Amino acid sequence: MDARPDNPDAMLVELLHEVLDPELPISLVDLGLIYGARLEGEVAHVDLTFTATACPCMEFIREDVRDRLELESWIDAVEIREVWDPPWTRDRISERGRRRLRTLGVGV
Amino acid sequence: MAGDVVVPGLEGAPAELRSALRRLLLGLADTKRLLGIRYSDWLLGAPSIEAGIAASSMAQDEWGHARLLYAALRDFGDDPVELEHAREPEGYLSWGPLDEDADDWAGVVASMLVLDGVLTEALSGIAEGRYEPLEGRITKMLAEEEFHASLATAWFRRLAGSEEGRARLRAATEVILEGALLGAAPGDDSHERLAAEGLTLGAGELRGRMADRLDPLLSLIGLSVPTGAGLPADWDEARGRGPGAPPFDSIERARGDRNRALFVE
Repeated sequence: MDARPDNPDAMLVELLHEVLDPELPISLVDLGLIYGARLEGEVAHVDLTFTATACPCMEFIREDVRDRLELESWIDAVEIREVWDPPWTRDRISERGRRRLRTLGVGV
Repeated sequence: MAGDVVVPGLEGAPAELRSALRRLLLGLADTKRLLGIRYSDWLLGAPSIEAGIAASSMAQDEWGHARLLYAALRDFGDDPVELEHAREPEGYLSWGPLDEDADDWAGVVASMLVLDGVLTEALSGIAEGRYEPLEGRITKMLAEEEFHASLATAWFRRLAGSEEGRARLRAATEVILEGALLGAAPGDDSHERLAAEGLTLGAGELRGRMADRLDPLLSLIGLSVPTGAGLPADWDEARGRGPGAPPFDSIERARGDRNRALFVE
């Protein structure tokens, strides 16, 4: 069984690096959609935004976040909070995400 | 007087003020919902495939905005799922011009310019006010609306370049202009109560902004934003609109009646 990490909040972000956006092959973290992640007790709280107010992948993204985090034995439940402030813009894409997108021919 | 009410979420505010803000937000949400249906009706009927794709994108945005506004109404005791899926047409506060379908693409372009533009000014008015819970959401909506405004301007200018286009644009715009202005800036007691508390802009200021936004284009077809003709005799203050309701088939689609058994919420 995985032990609870020393810095669970940082580990949550690390784990979310493994969750890819359904449309672009970069992680939700590199896309700038994760506004916060913290462990309270055994519940992981994730603050999440979307690229558009009617992003067609909203439900997929929520499920993917839950599915990945619930694989960890030290996480009992996942609570996702939808956040719109500050609004997402392309400026939130990380440099690593930009490099990856450029290699795929996506201009950012 | 502005400042008497503790804003951010209107906790402790008088019931009349909360009711007035709920009416404003629900009216904007319902209008965006119905405008999204108008756009979606033209995905395959636009003059070019590119225009149809743009209509698709705008329909998506309008429904996203409506969804965020419905969610915001949870703070007023509403159930967003019920708002989206369980109301009869008479319960909708969408603006009168959306009670009828658009006859042609000129009607869609007029809607893009006038209805969408006026909605945007109304949202800006709220964003500049003291109601904080919506700030981030409205900022995102306004960013998405920039593309709608660019497309509306381009299409309006294109159609206004021919006599036939001008005639059709003028006919379509005359149908919706006053109803859109009344929806966003009715200037009735409910609206002015909000303006007095700094929760939106007064009708006069909103109309001025709408004129600044629309008149350069409306002048191409010989129209302009009227300075305000007062409320019609049959104005329904509770609903923030005149009599009537959106068509039932639009509401069936808005509610997702045919997919009720498949809902994912």
